Amino acid sequence: MSLVSNAFLLFVIAAVILYYVVPGKLQWIVLLIFSYLYYLSGNAKYLFFILFSTCVTYGFGLVIDRMNEAGMEQKKIKRMLVIGLICNLGMLGIVKYTGFFIDNLNALFHLEWKGFEVLFPLGISFYTFQSSGYLLDVYWKKTRAEKNPFRYALFVAFFPQLLQGPIGKWERLGTQLSIPHPFAMENISRGVQRMIWGYAKKMIIADWAGVFADAIWGDLDRFNGIALFGLVFYGIQLYADFSGAMDVVIGIGNLFGITMDENFRRPYLATSMADFWKRWHITLGEWMMNYVFYPVSLSKWMMRFSKWSKARFGRKTGRVVPIALADLIVFFLVGIWHGASWKYVAYGLMNGGIIAFSELMAGKYRSMRKALHIKGTETWYHIFAIVRTFILVNLRWFFDRSENLSQGFYMIRQAFTHFNPSQLFMISAGSGGTAFVPWALLIIFVGCVIMVTVGCFQEKGHEIRKELSRLPFPVTAAIYVLLLIAIGVFGSTAAPRGFIYAQF
Amino acid sequence: MHNFKKGLRMILILCISGGILFALDFALYPCTFMRNDIHTVSTTQFDDIYMGTSHGKMDISPSEAQKVNGRTGHNVCVGGEYAVDTYYIARLMLEKGCKPSRIIYEVSPGYFTMEKEEGNNYLLFYHEFPLSRAKLDYFRDTLLKCNFRTMLFPWYEYPISYELSHLKENVRKKWSRDYDTEDLKSDTQIYHEDGFIERYPVDSASFTMDGLSEFHPEDVCETNMIYLEKLIDLCRENEITFVAVTTPLPRATLEHFADGYQAADEYFSAFFEEQGVPYVNFNNQKYFKTFTHKIENYTDFDGHMNGETAKAFSRLLAEVLERVCKS
Repeated sequence: MSLVSNAFLLFVIAAVILYYVVPGKLQWIVLLIFSYLYYLSGNAKYLFFILFSTCVTYGFGLVIDRMNEAGMEQKKIKRMLVIGLICNLGMLGIVKYTGFFIDNLNALFHLEWKGFEVLFPLGISFYTFQSSGYLLDVYWKKTRAEKNPFRYALFVAFFPQLLQGPIGKWERLGTQLSIPHPFAMENISRGVQRMIWGYAKKMIIADWAGVFADAIWGDLDRFNGIALFGLVFYGIQLYADFSGAMDVVIGIGNLFGITMDENFRRPYLATSMADFWKRWHITLGEWMMNYVFYPVSLSKWMMRFSKWSKARFGRKTGRVVPIALADLIVFFLVGIWHGASWKYVAYGLMNGGIIAFSELMAGKYRSMRKALHIKGTETWYHIFAIVRTFILVNLRWFFDRSENLSQGFYMIRQAFTHFNPSQLFMISAGSGGTAFVPWALLIIFVGCVIMVTVGCFQEKGHEIRKELSRLPFPVTAAIYVLLLIAIGVFGSTAAPRGFIYAQF
Repeated sequence: MHNFKKGLRMILILCISGGILFALDFALYPCTFMRNDIHTVSTTQFDDIYMGTSHGKMDISPSEAQKVNGRTGHNVCVGGEYAVDTYYIARLMLEKGCKPSRIIYEVSPGYFTMEKEEGNNYLLFYHEFPLSRAKLDYFRDTLLKCNFRTMLFPWYEYPISYELSHLKENVRKKWSRDYDTEDLKSDTQIYHEDGFIERYPVDSASFTMDGLSEFHPEDVCETNMIYLEKLIDLCRENEITFVAVTTPLPRATLEHFADGYQAADEYFSAFFEEQGVPYVNFNNQKYFKTFTHKIENYTDFDGHMNGETAKAFSRLLAEVLERVCKS
């Protein structure tokens, strides 16, 4: 059930009505039923996987919590944690990476292994990470294990976030899901406003940009003169699509009185790659930071490596090398989390490589800035940093959007050796190619200007929705009604596109 | 009390938004010929209803057929009409008390191998349905899975420039419930009151086979066949005679895709035989020689006839249908 479908909207309306009709202590049961109905509407065959993940992490969480409480030996508790994680993440690994693994073995050793066809259950990358995070939090005693299996099942399967995140933490999301939420008009209007904004981003900006991105990437030989445009359109599409989906998801959470974690914070205004990852898919970044980066950085073998690198490269550089290595590991995982393909490995390593390189060169950069009398607080330098990061970020999309690694390299070559903007007007846009291309481009441009302007205001600390709500009520209402109608007037007329991140 | 006031305000916004959306729909959604067709078949009693795709629309003139068999009829075929749409149009007619004694279903094999694209393809029909059980069921089976713009902004797929240029005329027609078909013509075709679209002759030298594809039985979509079966069952339950027809195609096309047309004939002959309904295919051996397949009589390789040929074909069809139904 797509987030933009009539069915989904009616489903949400039904869930909200029932949620506020039943007594507060039963609200979570309504959410649980609707969450599982939502999951079943995708494909009943997938039910096993989410139940498995829920049961494993619930059970191991309970056992680890009891062992913690009983003060048992840390080694034994750790063993339980490892088994739990292997079961949960192992399922993800088998489902997601078996085919990739067999394909590579076949290619490497000239084998002809057939492998087996594995289902790819909806949202598996999100809920396995969320439930694994819970298990680790219980192990680290950051949270107590939930005793009620059904309440825990709701945390894993909460329907708005199931397919695209944000990846929630028990201490923030789980606890909210369990408590009653009295009806508040404020929540409904906040939720609806956020949903309209998200839908506008998706259907106006992302879907129009997607028309051009898909056309260019779909026929590289014909559109070789606008490969660079293809990259920019994809960058716009991906951001408006994913952040639009998050606005809708968070808005739906608001309808139930639940505040979910933000997943985006103006990523294209980041001043460095490290900063970008604190603004883009924030919950995945935080997950990697909390559950991979810190454990890896503080592990015994990393300490030994740190000692070795200090001895080998000197104190200053030696201190940074282990951090750079941890970055590479984290972003390798980020890459393969996105999919089982070498292009995602390249995508992840490119991210990790840039961040690791920046860490290694940080000292040199500081000296250079000092020599050039740049404080780093100047406006022009800030803009320079944003543009530099924007370019770096977009270069990575070459691999993310390509079918495979070689297509990624091919696109890079085309982008820097061919330039023929007139090819843009050869693209067939809209329903059956009936849309006027300059009109579609104008819509994308104006949409981006609005998105950037809103972003700049937010960056300066303005809370747009709060400020809008201070305006006279008819004005606020008119703004949102107009935004809704804009989706009809300016939305893409091409065949509807699904959400990009729903496929992960 | 605070919540109550806010609730009232929210209801007020919803009402105003609903009003605006209704007004936009009224002003912007174009008056298509399907508006006339659906209105006519759900308010007028006919002996024959012709249903199917663009081939049926452009090849069958109910008025010409009436000259031969004396049966009144209307053509509700249209490009993009899949079995699901036909089924619900038939249900609507019956619900509104307009029961024909015969439904002639034009079969274009290619349609059965394609999934219907969501969006405007459904709205073309759904939008014109009057409030009815058929409309609700049609929504549940088709539009429910489509994006919400189909519900809130049914006009969204039409270019805004087109909508604005027709705005005044739209409002006038809808306001006065005017179903006049005078303006439904262009340089290439004219729409007749009986639902037939008459195409003007075209120079065949400009025709290409681009976009045509071969029929493969293994590509047939199950959903299309399910709705075709439901349509046949519906006719049976309501004692409506059901006849399936495939209209003639140019010889060049038949030769180019000989295997595909042979396979399609075998597939649909077997299917209709199993269903116990007659199937007349003007491209198979039995009927091939009864009508012209010369390219000059068509407006493209896809097999849409020019007006005069279509009228001649409609007269022949009327004769054949009488024979087939009597036997």
